[in-house]
This record gives sequence, C-alpha cells and structure tokens, in this order.
Amino acid sequence: MDEIVRFLLEHPPFSQLPLIQIQRIASAVQIEYFGQGVQILTQGGKPASFLYLIRRGSVDLLRERDGVVELTDTLGEGECFGYVSLIRGKPPISTVRAHEATLCYLIPAALFHQLRRDYPSFAQFFARSITDRLEQALQQRHAAAAPELFQTRLRDLITEPLVAVSPDTTVREAARRMREAQASALIVDLPPYGVLDAGSGIVTDRDLRNRVVAEGLDYNTPIAQVMSAPAVTVPADSLVFEGLLKMIEHGVHHLPLSDSGQIIGVVSYRDFLRLQSHNPLLMPQRLVRARSDADLRAYTEQVTATVGGLLDAGARVSDIGRAVAAAHDALLVHIIRDAEAALGPPPCPYAWLVLGSEGRYEQTLRTDQDNALIYADNAPEGAEAYFEALAERVVEQLVRCGFPRCPGNVMATNPQWRQPRSVWQNYFRQWISVPSEEALLQTAIFFDLRPVYGTLDTEASLRPIILRARENRIFLGRLARAALRQTAPINFFRQLVLERRGDQRGVIDLKYRGTAMIVDLARLFALEAGVPDTNTIARLRKSANRSSLSETSAEELIAAFELIGLLRLRWQYQQLRQGLEPSNRVEVDKLTPLERRELKEALRAVAVAQRAVAVTFQTSLMA
Amino acid sequence: MFLFRRRPASLPESVARYLEAPRPDPALPWRDVPYSVMDVETTGLNPRRDALLAIGLIDIDEGRIRMDQRWYSLVRPPDDAPVNPEAIRVHGLLPQDVEHAPPLHEVVPTVLRRLTGRVLVVHVADVDIGFLRQAMRRLYGVEPRGPAIDTARLAWHFQRHQRLIDSSGSEQEPALHLRALAESVGLPVYPEHNAFNDALTTAQLFLAQVSMFEAHGMPRLRDLLRAGGCLR
Repeated sequence: MDEIVRFLLEHPPFSQLPLIQIQRIASAVQIEYFGQGVQILTQGGKPASFLYLIRRGSVDLLRERDGVVELTDTLGEGECFGYVSLIRGKPPISTVRAHEATLCYLIPAALFHQLRRDYPSFAQFFARSITDRLEQALQQRHAAAAPELFQTRLRDLITEPLVAVSPDTTVREAARRMREAQASALIVDLPPYGVLDAGSGIVTDRDLRNRVVAEGLDYNTPIAQVMSAPAVTVPADSLVFEGLLKMIEHGVHHLPLSDSGQIIGVVSYRDFLRLQSHNPLLMPQRLVRARSDADLRAYTEQVTATVGGLLDAGARVSDIGRAVAAAHDALLVHIIRDAEAALGPPPCPYAWLVLGSEGRYEQTLRTDQDNALIYADNAPEGAEAYFEALAERVVEQLVRCGFPRCPGNVMATNPQWRQPRSVWQNYFRQWISVPSEEALLQTAIFFDLRPVYGTLDTEASLRPIILRARENRIFLGRLARAALRQTAPINFFRQLVLERRGDQRGVIDLKYRGTAMIVDLARLFALEAGVPDTNTIARLRKSANRSSLSETSAEELIAAFELIGLLRLRWQYQQLRQGLEPSNRVEVDKLTPLERRELKEALRAVAVAQRAVAVTFQTSLMA
Repeated sequence: MFLFRRRPASLPESVARYLEAPRPDPALPWRDVPYSVMDVETTGLNPRRDALLAIGLIDIDEGRIRMDQRWYSLVRPPDDAPVNPEAIRVHGLLPQDVEHAPPLHEVVPTVLRRLTGRVLVVHVADVDIGFLRQAMRRLYGVEPRGPAIDTARLAWHFQRHQRLIDSSGSEQEPALHLRALAESVGLPVYPEHNAFNDALTTAQLFLAQVSMFEAHGMPRLRDLLRAGGCLR
C-alpha cells in the first residue's frame, strides 16, 4: 500500500491530487504483469476498462495506417496509457504491446472518470496528452498567449491608403498628398511603375521633418533627393512578428509590403503598438536616449525581461534569438560608436565580429562575450594601437552591461583575435588544411562569425575561404567525427540516457547533449552544401537536399532544435526568476511527462541524423 | 492434544463451506481461476511449537491482483507461546502489538471464508500452509484443501529447466528467497516481513512466473499445478 502511494506521489498527474485521493487510488488499483511482447490493448479492439500506469518496464504504442504498422511511441515507468479509449469510450487508437516485461497499476474506469470530474487539473492532464505530438505541441504554444503576434499577417494591418508619387514630385506636393490621404509615409516609385525594385524608395513624416524642414531645403526639391532607397520591404503575408524583427534590424518605422513584386501598402510602427504591449521595438528607442552606464545596463535588463515576455507569448526560440540578436547588436553598435567618438575616426576599414551563439543569432540570455576584430591590410602606422584601445573600451563597456569576459579569451582584446585581413585568412586556411583537435575547436567558434559593425566586407574576405573547406574531404571527415563526439542521450528503446553519477543523477545537459549537437550537425551540412549562413535553422533548411541531409531529416532537426531550445530556455528563465545562476543541466524529473515525451522525440531525431552522418562520413560512432 | 476433538458435523459454517466448495477444474485457462495469495508472520518456523502473529491475503481475479480485495490481520498468540527475539527482529511485531488482536479461533474462519473456492498461492508452503494446517487441525480437526501453488516450487521448476537448457549454468542450489526472486524478474519489492507486503510481492512474483509459461502458449491451471502444486 505505502509503496503504491509513494509511487503515485512521485508521478503526475496523481502527485497533484490530495493525499486522501492518492490513498483511495492505491487501495483500488489492480496489478497486472505483462510478459515481453504481450498485447495489452488492441487498436480498434475492445475499449479499455482501466487507466494503465506503468510501474516497471515499458510499452510500445503501435499504429496501423494503410496496412503499415508504425511505432509511434514508447512509454516508460510512471507514464499512462489507455486514457484516449477510456475518455472517448471507443476502441483504442493504438495497439499497446509490452516492450519488455512490464508491471502496471490499473485504475478502474469509474474511479478514473470520477477523478476527472472532481479535479480539473487531473482531467486537463489527459485531455492535453491526447493531442500532444511534437508538432502539435509547438503549434499549440504559438496560438497560446499572443495570437496577434504570431497569427496575424502584415497585410491585415494596413490602415493607410497607399500613396505613390514619381521621383520628380516636389517635397511640397508630396507633403500635400500625404495630408490629403492622412498617410504617414509615401512610396516613391521609379519606372517601371508599380514594380518593386532597387530604385523604389520611401519617404515618411519623419523624413520630411528631419531631411527637409530641419535642413532648410527648398520645398521644390525633388522628393527623390530625400527618400530612403532602396526601401526595406517585407512580403505582405509575413507574420507581424517577422515585420517587427525587420523593423528592429533596420531601425525603421515603416515597412512597405510587397506582394508578387508589387507594393500594396505600408504598415507603421504605430500599427504594431496597437497590437501588443511586449514590444521589442521599444528597446532600440530606449537605447538612442541612453547616456550613462546605468542607462545601458537598464537596457540589457530590459532585453532579458523581454525574453521572458516573448517566451510567455509563445514565441519560437529562433524568433527570440533573432530579436535578442537585433537588440544586442544595437547595443554593440551604440558602444562602438561611443568608442569611436572618444578615439577619433578609425585609421582604416575594419569590422567588429561576433562569434558562437551570437554569430548564429541564437543567443537568448546574456552569455560570455565571444568577439574578434578584423582590419584592412596595409593599415597605416598606429592602426594596431588604435584598434587595441577600441577593443579595450568596447569589451570593458560590454562587461559593465552584464556580458562577462570570455574565459577562453576569445575577444577582440586578445591580439591573436585582432588582426589584419590576410592574417585572418591564413588562420582559416591553416585550420582547414591541418584539422587538429585545436583547429576543430576554433572552427566551431569562428565559422559562425558575423560582422556587426564596420565597413570591411567580412563575407567577401573570409566566407569564401570557409566554404572552400567543403572540397577537403579529410577536413569534413574530421568535422563529422567531432560532431558525433557527443551522442544523443537516448537509447534504442527511446529511453533517455541520464547521468547516473552522484549529484548529476537524473540530469540531462540540454546544451552539450542537446542543442549543441544540432548546431554541430548543421555546421557540417552547411559546409557540405556550401551554404554561407551561420544560423542553425537557416543552415539546415538551405542544406536539405544539397548535402547528405534529406529534407525530412532537416525538418525533424529543426523541430528538435526549436523544442530542445525551448525546454532549455524555459528552464533557464525559471532559474533566473528564482535568483539562481541559469544552468543547462535540466533535472528530467522536473519536466512534465509531456515535455519528457517531446524531448524523447526530439533526441530521437538527433540520434537518427547522427547515425546517418556516421554512415556518410564513415566515422565510427564509437571513435 | 486437541487433535480430532471436534467433529466435522459441528464445524462453523464458513469452515464447512470452505471444505465443501468444488475444486476448480484443472483444465481451465489459468486466468479463469480465482486465486488468493497468503503470507503469515510467526514466532518461529515450527508450526507445532510456534504461533501465528499476522496473516495477509490478497486475491487475483482474471489475472489481476486486486488491491481492493486485500486483507490483513494481526493474531493474538496463546499465552504460553514462546517469545523469540530472533523472530521479532525479522517481523518487528512486539508482544504489545498483538496483545489486543483477535485470537486464532476468531481469525481462521475469516481466512477460510476468503479462501473458499480459490486456489491458495504461497511462497514456501512448508511454513505458510504448515501453520494454516496446524491451526485448522487444532481448531476443527480438518485439513486445508488443495489445490495450492508454491511460488518457491515454481521458481525451482524454472531454474531446473534453465539448467537443462544451459548446461554451463551454475550447479549451485538456486536462491529461493522471495525478495531475491522478485528482484531477479525486475519486480518492485515492498518492505519485507509484513504479512501483507509479502503476500503482495508473492502475488506479483506469481504473475511474473505465469507469464513465463505464457511465452509457450496459454497455460491451464493443470500446468501450474504440475510445476508448483503443493497440496492435494
């Protein structure tokens, strides 16, 4: 009795019931033992008359569709089955077979229904479980808290009529047209008319104020002289959230919407404000006003708070990563400009690079700095000293804003990572031609580089060298082997492989044995396919069918990446809220069975992809 | 000696019914047979000298252990029963625990009522059935009725088969300890030496053992009795 009570106390949804109910269940259960391979429930057969709770062992769920039997899930200790049939009073939708010798506690139907009636959370647990497959779960979350952000299309936000004028229209005439139409922006259209091209521009209220009135321009100036061109546009069917990101990235307040190359309207920042309150757009505005260290510090706090808002609003981790990247980029640019203002103009073209997760647009919570600096060859005398001073200032300011120094000293303050273009090019060539352990570690950081500020064209200088690595099979093979060093913590029976030692017992590291494995795979596939992107999801999407990665596998890995990332970020955010240091090590016990099941699905996708890589690149998984 | 002092004609009704109940047909599939699993705690291992202190029972119907049909009772031993510190260390029942428990003659009719029409399942029949037999003889001058199944005997049956198949296997005497057997087939073990918990562990062991027969087709009661029967 006590043993059964204890077991129920450890497993949701029973654990949430009052003790008296748990004792009642314990004294009403029946116990059945199923030998390996025994069929417990039959798809389309007799409806279940018990709720089955697995006490020991595991069962396979099998579903037959069009004559093909598919293993849809494996359930383990503490998980339930039979409830779909029980709730609907219909034949089971899956066949349940004992995967190994399995002992089950059987809760009689009448008691199950009574508990569902009396305890809504108990009922909800099973109602939710019915539709909780991986993709469905993701979709559900998106529809949850901020539907307007993730379900509304930009075209539905258009409130202003489209005002288009030719480039030779005078600013006075343009302003009059805007007043008549009560529009806050107009499109300057160049021939061929009506078609969006590089010559099309946009003029806003703000442009008229800042570029015409404040500058004292003649009102007969052709509008083309004050327009912004090319205009930043987005497809009209983009989601509101994507439009928001576009605005942040480009620092604009109006977005012309395009549909099949035609501009069909303009949406403004104000339209977005009307929609929702957790507005990441407020952040850059705040930054412009920032004057002191305290302001900057407050700004970074605000970014972290926004992550929580986005998380609650049901944003994908990839979307959050892009929003955070935009916000942190804006901060970085602000800091570098301050440094330039103090040190004087740079002696030659240069670029400030961010690396690792920042370089992949995947930073969500603040982490250690990873940055570098590249400057032009044949730089004038004193350039090295200038960039050293610049790097010191910027890194120092970032530290004050809450970004700790990199423990591995991968920062622009390290002379090794503050070099002219040709030295950088040699670094990359060297890593690729001699792929030592050390070199492979460096590629994992530096292949994911992204310039945030500066005029030196990094993509033209470095990316071609990186992409040439695809021709080096030895390098690819070593990279593949490195990508398989950590294997997905799931065994053949779809059971999570957890740490069994000491204080790490029951823990799974969702970074090293989760997202990082997918990041490594994506880097490998991208290289194989010659894809220049650094973002993991973009790499996977664009490498599909152009590398050894199939489209199905790419989609699965993307879903897995989003899901593991979400579990990890939620876990970390929860720790932050409790005033703890965020950790990647998740206690599996504290995940809901739903989350555990999703995690299993996701890790299984990673394991499958890893096995495919092992075959393609002839690496041994054991090596 | 009380032996044969009472005549069957004057038996309490529950005892009479117990004795008259038809025996289950050995040709029945095992699931169609009702079982009752019993465990006892005693002052020692000798049924002639030692006394019963607790009895636990749990039923198995249609192949499922019924927590809703469990039963447990302490038993007040006779005043002259030996106090065995060794046994107390095992079951943890102190004289004051059983001081106010019902005496044996009140408990046994209830036990027999619960066993009526059921196949008794025990682990190590010599002890459990030995004490039941002794009690029934003393109180009513009758014998327990079969059939009954001994899970220790079933375990021995499987181990002997295993050795025939796997000649390289160990020649050691097999361990027939309840806890060890339950763990060897991956069963959770409930705290030992409580008559009810041990009955539950025995019941689970029994189901696990039957499932080994099931791997070779649906067993009938006859098959179980052949391998582990212990009472005619």
